[in-house]
Amino acid sequence: MNTLTITKNEIQVALLDFLCRQFYVDLDDIILDKSLIDTGIIDSMGLIEISSYIKKNYGFTVTKEQMNRQNFGSVLKIVDFIDTTIKTI
Amino acid sequence: MYQDLHLIKRCKKCILSANFPRIKFDENGICNFCNNELLYTTENSEIETSRGEVEKLFQDKSKKSEYDAIVCYSGGKDSTYTLKLAVEKYKLKVLSFTLDNGFISPVAFKNIEKVVSALGIDHITYRPSYQFMKSLYRISSIENIYNPKTLTRISANCNSCISIVNITALKMALEKDVPFILAGFTLGQIPSNTIYYQNNYEFLEESRKPILDKLKSQLGNDVSKYLEITDSLLKKSENYPYNINLLCLEDITENEIIEKILPLGWVKPADVDGCSTNCKINAFNNYVHNYKFGYSPYELELSHLIRKNLLTREEAISKLFDQPQDQIDFVKAELRIDEKDLKMSN
Repeated sequence: MNTLTITKNEIQVALLDFLCRQFYVDLDDIILDKSLIDTGIIDSMGLIEISSYIKKNYGFTVTKEQMNRQNFGSVLKIVDFIDTTIKTI
Repeated sequence: MYQDLHLIKRCKKCILSANFPRIKFDENGICNFCNNELLYTTENSEIETSRGEVEKLFQDKSKKSEYDAIVCYSGGKDSTYTLKLAVEKYKLKVLSFTLDNGFISPVAFKNIEKVVSALGIDHITYRPSYQFMKSLYRISSIENIYNPKTLTRISANCNSCISIVNITALKMALEKDVPFILAGFTLGQIPSNTIYYQNNYEFLEESRKPILDKLKSQLGNDVSKYLEITDSLLKKSENYPYNINLLCLEDITENEIIEKILPLGWVKPADVDGCSTNCKINAFNNYVHNYKFGYSPYELELSHLIRKNLLTREEAISKLFDQPQDQIDFVKAELRIDEKDLKMSN
């Protein structure tokens, strides 16, 4: 995947597809600006799974410092985090 | 409401039942998990990549620690094989650790003694207060403590127990500056993309907080002792250890695992259910899970093994149905739980 040309919308569509399949939920279950944990979509292990997904699909490892609510607090925040990070690596 | 496992409609290829979340069957009776519509499965290439990365982590490990790895050792077949892999295949200096939850089969205890002696390794058994463990199991059984998402692949009581195992192993690793924590989970038991990962206690603690708050409201401050880590210990280490599930890197059937561990003196216990090789509370845990959700917590794991050709459907069904009533009744009496408690928890 050429991560330099990917748009935020493409990142979001791919992330939502991953979440729906990996955590077997419907798209309608996911509230884009709410915490995936607070809304019961994932548990704490789900955060590890999303980190692995990012590494596999966007080629960077999420550091201990990056794993926080600011970056992982909702789908929109995760998308922003991926988008920002791939533009700086 | 409790479901008779023999009567539920199941996928004709795996053993997922009609009560499993989000399941649908096609016209041939095959489920959407088998048809690859849900759940990312781990491709062989992904396992190969993880294998290379895990081997690199082992090669690059610091030489200054007394131990390379803490191995969470239940005495069951999978963690016994994991221990063997760690010592013999990966040549790691290991400290094996068993959580005595009060319900470990006496045969499993003998297995632990024989195996750690045969492998010539250091070993620690940690036994939390039996009263606390019983209270924890009771609350986990009759209250809704955990995220239902977590409970698609594990029973509430197993999750409580494994949480103590994980926290205790992390404490030991931080205290002794050990870079790796190994466990005997198989793919299917754990999410497919968590073969290895670096711990991040603070962030995960934040997401665990609602669960810990519920437990503390019922069980008091002992919860902190067994399920939390103090700031002073967290600050002691600059790097958190990696959790690695070595068994996920092996393409091996259950029978082959047993064949490999028999020479260590391991014997299959007869006083456990078909899904466990060490724990006498497991049949009860499965019973409670069935009561709450209408399916077995082992369906996802066993179905994964079937799809990977590591277990036949008949073998999986046989394990699922082997749930001795006397073991269920024994634990019910120990925890003072009756059918009324379980009905009210639904």
